[in-house]
Amino acid sequence: MLERRVVIRNRLGLHARAAARLVRVANSYHSAVRLERIDGSHSADAKSILSVLMLAAGFGTELRAIVYGEDEDEAINALCTLIAEGLGEEGRQ
Amino acid sequence: MSSNHKSAIANPESLMPDHPTITVGDFVACGPARLQLHVLAGADAAVARRITAARVHKLGLALAGFAHDIHTGRVQIVGQSEIAYLNQLSSERRREVLNSGALGQIACMLVTKSPALPPELAEWAERTGVPLLQTPLVSSLAITVTTEFLQETLAPRETRHGVLLELYGVGVLIEGRSGIGKSECALDLIVRGHRLVADDLVEVRRIAPDQLLGSAPELLSEHLELRGVGIINIRDLFGVSTISGPKNIDLSIKLERWDEVKEVDRLGIDELTAEILGVRVPHFLIPVGSGRNLATLVETAVRVHLSRARGNNAAQTFVARHTASLRAPDVEAESRRVNNSELEDDREETRR
Repeated sequence: MLERRVVIRNRLGLHARAAARLVRVANSYHSAVRLERIDGSHSADAKSILSVLMLAAGFGTELRAIVYGEDEDEAINALCTLIAEGLGEEGRQ
Repeated sequence: MSSNHKSAIANPESLMPDHPTITVGDFVACGPARLQLHVLAGADAAVARRITAARVHKLGLALAGFAHDIHTGRVQIVGQSEIAYLNQLSSERRREVLNSGALGQIACMLVTKSPALPPELAEWAERTGVPLLQTPLVSSLAITVTTEFLQETLAPRETRHGVLLELYGVGVLIEGRSGIGKSECALDLIVRGHRLVADDLVEVRRIAPDQLLGSAPELLSEHLELRGVGIINIRDLFGVSTISGPKNIDLSIKLERWDEVKEVDRLGIDELTAEILGVRVPHFLIPVGSGRNLATLVETAVRVHLSRARGNNAAQTFVARHTASLRAPDVEAESRRVNNSELEDDREETRR
């Protein structure tokens, strides 16, 4: 099991399109992927779009990615890179 | 559309090209019964001469020497006024008028009502090989009936591999690889009270710039093939209310194997379209996997389509609500900051 802290870098936060992109990447791995708010107030299955949307993670929100499975290394790297790069959004801060 | 329209397409040659044509002979034999067509002259030429354009034209000014609008392959309507005009000319002048210009390239002449025709007209028809037809209808009605028939018959067409069904009044074309379960899905939908237009092969015709009409090939209509059961007749087994005649295609659904789908739409905020014969049709791509009930999914997609057509996109509404909820904490934080600075201002004032 791997854990890593990530901060939402894109201006609009984890909005619908960004969330869809995240879910698509998460689904391309066999590992189970969870995202939690750092205060533990909310936890989401990163393979479910509604679950990710319910995190309501705005700009600057700190999250913990928890990945478990055979390809957890690749999965956590891909997800954290995606989030760090602003989830493919233009004009991020 | 009535069944006699369909028989006009029975000519296999006209089925093949993207822009089909029809011979004048077929137009007389299989055209709309209402026209009560008969050939006055040029019957021999009618067998081979082709109508290539759906728009009919009234001869009018061409007889006065202004042949600007005469186009190859069209049906030319000759009404009371044209005949009256010809009749008041001298015989010599009539010949001159008929032989001048581009009249020889038209598909055929259609005389409306039954006026006394100048003999030069039939003479001209026999000599140039342009068939001269007649209908007892008045010009305006003859034009409407002829145009409607030709538009349907000459419409660009394509045969697609798929199933066409009617759900809640919506014509739904379901496509996907062979063996993905299109026919089984269709059967489920039929059992639920929806109607079959065509299974396996769907003949699509673009009958207007933005209108696609789908129908079953004559031989296949009412039939469906189920692996392991064979060819079944839907009307025999489920009743006459479960089959439908030709239907406009309003929605396209593609079934694709789950592991072959590159990108699944998880949100549904973008309304996808597919292109059929140059017409953009609303489209859903539905991945097929175990535990997915295709009939229910298709039924739901159609309901979503109906809802969107009335300006209601649930996904967009949901996303807007979600975006607003993401912004809300920012607004709160901002107002807190403003309040704090106001407090500080107050404090400063108190100190003074």
